[in-house]
Amino acid sequence: MVRLITHNLLACHVKGCTSNNFPLEFKDVQVVLRESEFNPDFLRGFIPKLEWPALVGAARELGDTSLPDQLPEMLDDDFLKALHHVLLEIHVEEGIMICPNCKHNYPVSNGIPNMLLAEHEIG
Amino acid sequence: MPSYLLVFAQSHSEFRIPELESVAQLHGFAITLPVDCDPSRPFMVLDLASEEHAKLLAGRCILIKHIYEFYAQGGDYEELHVANKANGHLWSSYAHDTSFKFIVTAYNHKIPGSRQREVVESFRYMAFAGKIDMKNPQIILGCFEEYDSSIALRQDRDSKFRQAYFGRLVVDGSARALIKMFDVKKRLYYGNTSMESEVSLLMANQALASSSKLVYDPFCGTGSMAYPIAYFGAQVFGSDIDGRQMRGKAGKGKLPPGVLRAATQYGVADRIVDLCTFDVTRNPWRCGDLFDTIVTDPPYGVRAGAKRLGRKKELSEDKKAANIEHQMSARNKEEPYVPPTKPYELSLLAADLVLLARYLLKPEGRLVFFLPTVNEQYEEVDIQSMLCDGMVLVANSLQDFGSWGRRLVTIRKATQESYPPPCFEEERDPGARIPAHKDFREQYFRGFKKENDL
Repeated sequence: MVRLITHNLLACHVKGCTSNNFPLEFKDVQVVLRESEFNPDFLRGFIPKLEWPALVGAARELGDTSLPDQLPEMLDDDFLKALHHVLLEIHVEEGIMICPNCKHNYPVSNGIPNMLLAEHEIG
Repeated sequence: MPSYLLVFAQSHSEFRIPELESVAQLHGFAITLPVDCDPSRPFMVLDLASEEHAKLLAGRCILIKHIYEFYAQGGDYEELHVANKANGHLWSSYAHDTSFKFIVTAYNHKIPGSRQREVVESFRYMAFAGKIDMKNPQIILGCFEEYDSSIALRQDRDSKFRQAYFGRLVVDGSARALIKMFDVKKRLYYGNTSMESEVSLLMANQALASSSKLVYDPFCGTGSMAYPIAYFGAQVFGSDIDGRQMRGKAGKGKLPPGVLRAATQYGVADRIVDLCTFDVTRNPWRCGDLFDTIVTDPPYGVRAGAKRLGRKKELSEDKKAANIEHQMSARNKEEPYVPPTKPYELSLLAADLVLLARYLLKPEGRLVFFLPTVNEQYEEVDIQSMLCDGMVLVANSLQDFGSWGRRLVTIRKATQESYPPPCFEEERDPGARIPAHKDFREQYFRGFKKENDL
């Protein structure tokens, strides 16, 4: 935790910050790898929801280059296993996620991201 | 279609049928309830396509104790035996050399031993020639007498049952064992608002939790809902406005967060996808149509009230400016900034939750949540009026605590359309009926008396 599946679903939500607010950039991260059960049906179901370039970018930022630039048309087992690893086995335990637009810092502590907004950010 | 006798656990009668229907749907078959179906009674004769379906139901329904192949029923034994003889084709193949055991038992009553033997004897005509084996019989025959609870205290009620049922045991309900497994008292991490295990398992069934599903609990708290749902194979996201609930004493990074410790105990830590701290009314979800189910027990204020970001009273412009300056300068990493919160009134929360679910759920996804209501004031319209376009009520089951109760509400997203995120600032129509769950906390602490009675 934070896994990249989650990172791929979170956008900056500061009031008025509605463009270029995704994906959040990682800074000063501590990464832990944890094996998890491979569930190809879950992955296939989730792929349509993914922002592919954001996922590839985040993975590379964290040193994993196993994913291709483009989402392949054929979802074979090798690809799904690589995707499984990137989405669910890379955990950002500590660090900061920064909005590329408004530069809001979302701290990650003990694997839990703090996405609360300050008073002036909710308008 | 063959008929089966369902023997239910005695608790949570209003949850029996919704659970049956949900578990059947989960396994991809439909059930047709009997016309005279009365879910308040602990026995139900149900037609099912096959024994396989009976086993699927018994493997997952928390409220099923046993399922029998149904042979006969009657208001007295004469009637029951006539029916049983007419169904001889169902049991005659066991008559020659199948070892068996005979159980005679009652609901709401204890049958004296002498009469139990009498009842067994009365089935003599079945001419079962096989060995009687009390330990490892090949089949178990069960005869159940159902007594009315209203005459429960009478001494001479023996044999004055409402209905007797007879059949052959197909399968014992195996899901009930999970109640013990998820017992909150044995959990490594829980809080004073943790949901008891039986009810959280019932919720997981209403949530159609299964492998490859993605489920979200926006008021995750100590994670009570996440464990059974993950146990049934689903991937679970949790969020809460108060990170301390999810973390527990994890504090300075030595221990994993509390929710993960309990999840590890159940072998499901892997399926807790992530836990996030945020106010659901200011949520960072990038898009909608994400989740198969949203399942939650919103804080309704008796032990912990719901909160959202904001202030009870708006600050003056001067104070606001000073505050912002303070927030910007005083941030330090040791003591993370905690923004002010204000109460989130329950009826507004419930209405928002339905709108949020319509945005975040996939088509055919479900919203499952508890809503406390004051029994005397409750009307069906309280639930109906929470619905919005595209959201349809599936089930509404009361867990009754006397003057109040909580309703497990199941709502389905019955549209393929995508909806925008809700604004969370809906004003209530001042002319509309005030639902029985409005200001529940205040009503609870008033002892549910009307304001002008005090």
